[in-house]
Amino acid sequence: MTFFTNAWQTLEKYYPFFLEGVENTLIIAFFSVFFGTLLGILMAMARLSNIKPFKWLATAYIEFFRGTPLMVQLMFIFYGLPMIGVTFPDVPFIENFQRFAAGIVAMSLNSCAYVAEVIRSGIQAVDSGQMEAARSLGFKKSQSMMMVVLPQAIRNILPALGNEFVTVIKESSIVSVIGIADLMYRTNGVKAKNYKTLECLFIAAMIYFVMTFVSSRLIALMERRLRRGRK
Amino acid sequence: MAANEMIQVSNLTKKFGKLTVLDNISTAFRAGEVVSIIGPSGGGKSTFLRCLNLLEVPTSGQILFDGINICDKKTDINLHRQKMGMVFQQFNLFENMNVLRNLTAAPIKIKKTPREEAEQNAFRLLDRVGLRDKAASYPSQLSGGQKQRIAIVRALMMEPEVMLFDEPTSALDPEMIGEVLDVMKALAESGMTMIVVTHEMRFAREVSARTLFLEGGHIEEDKPSHQLFENPESPRLISFLKKVL
Repeated sequence: MTFFTNAWQTLEKYYPFFLEGVENTLIIAFFSVFFGTLLGILMAMARLSNIKPFKWLATAYIEFFRGTPLMVQLMFIFYGLPMIGVTFPDVPFIENFQRFAAGIVAMSLNSCAYVAEVIRSGIQAVDSGQMEAARSLGFKKSQSMMMVVLPQAIRNILPALGNEFVTVIKESSIVSVIGIADLMYRTNGVKAKNYKTLECLFIAAMIYFVMTFVSSRLIALMERRLRRGRK
Repeated sequence: MAANEMIQVSNLTKKFGKLTVLDNISTAFRAGEVVSIIGPSGGGKSTFLRCLNLLEVPTSGQILFDGINICDKKTDINLHRQKMGMVFQQFNLFENMNVLRNLTAAPIKIKKTPREEAEQNAFRLLDRVGLRDKAASYPSQLSGGQKQRIAIVRALMMEPEVMLFDEPTSALDPEMIGEVLDVMKALAESGMTMIVVTHEMRFAREVSARTLFLEGGHIEEDKPSHQLFENPESPRLISFLKKVL
């Protein structure tokens, strides 16, 4: 029982630290999901494009970013690029902007590759006969896409995209290595103060779980809405 | 070229990689004609039909539709597809739209027909195929035969000059084939130009005036239907008919 008492006392004493960590984790995750999805849509379009160079570049990008660790990508951007003079500007009124920018950029670039694959497979899972029927009536390719294929692809895409959002929340814990005061970073800080390693990690795990669980419930709710609208 | 030839196919060749599916085919279809295309699977029937509205792009040769070469890159193929209705083996109704929207989407979006008028046309045609009560249903709620009748109506909504049928009854349960063939028969009697890839020999024989036997990428025989079925000449056609009749 002392474990839970200790954990509770830790939380009582240090909750502002954890809270700040949660806030920063959510900021990183929100912007990464936002830019990752936006870029992912563009990347999927390039990947499915008939213009060969677009297709090649997008494929190479997706393969590369899915095939290398996020940790390496993050360090490459934050520690590596400044070596050749590429740095993010410092914004005086936002604390630690350089770190946050590097974290969000790395996570977005990484997430974008996964989102692109989710969208591509969602679109390709729609029966090719749907596109053919639309084209045979005289619809342009873009019209067929918007009216017939995408509305059906959304239903394949949304659940997988939801998974990707949850993954981003969890993976964002990696930005603590470049000194962003996210939940993991703060957890380590508290741990170093009170030496209650197990309790601190337990608290962190619970908070991460609440965040991902709430997100996945919200996404499931959205899916159900969408399905009801259709059938 | 005779004046009433609507579609003129010359030296049409289609290759998929090294495989030659259509080998130098030339033929023509007149306005008002109902033509069946029969032959063994893999003989190129569907590919031939799909070349006519460029769902497959021919490797070489040309296709004149109303005197315009549709294989020419400068031709606006979307414009020509509007004049060629197509019915697929797998129906391909838009799964995300109800029946009424399946029917009215193309006229409203492409031809800019006012919605009210498009819907009136839709109900008029639905009456003709006996499916008025299905206007609000989604494709997933319909039987195969109903889907195919709706698919025919969807193509007719664009008031095409010619209807292409790609094995329209092959994916249907036997008891539903009749209802689709009846609609096609009525369409033929109304004077519609039809090109039908089919395994229904009775339809070919009784409804279409002319039948092509396509095998190995060649037109082996091309004759008035009754002649083709009563006096087949090529040994391949004779053996094919023996198997299917």
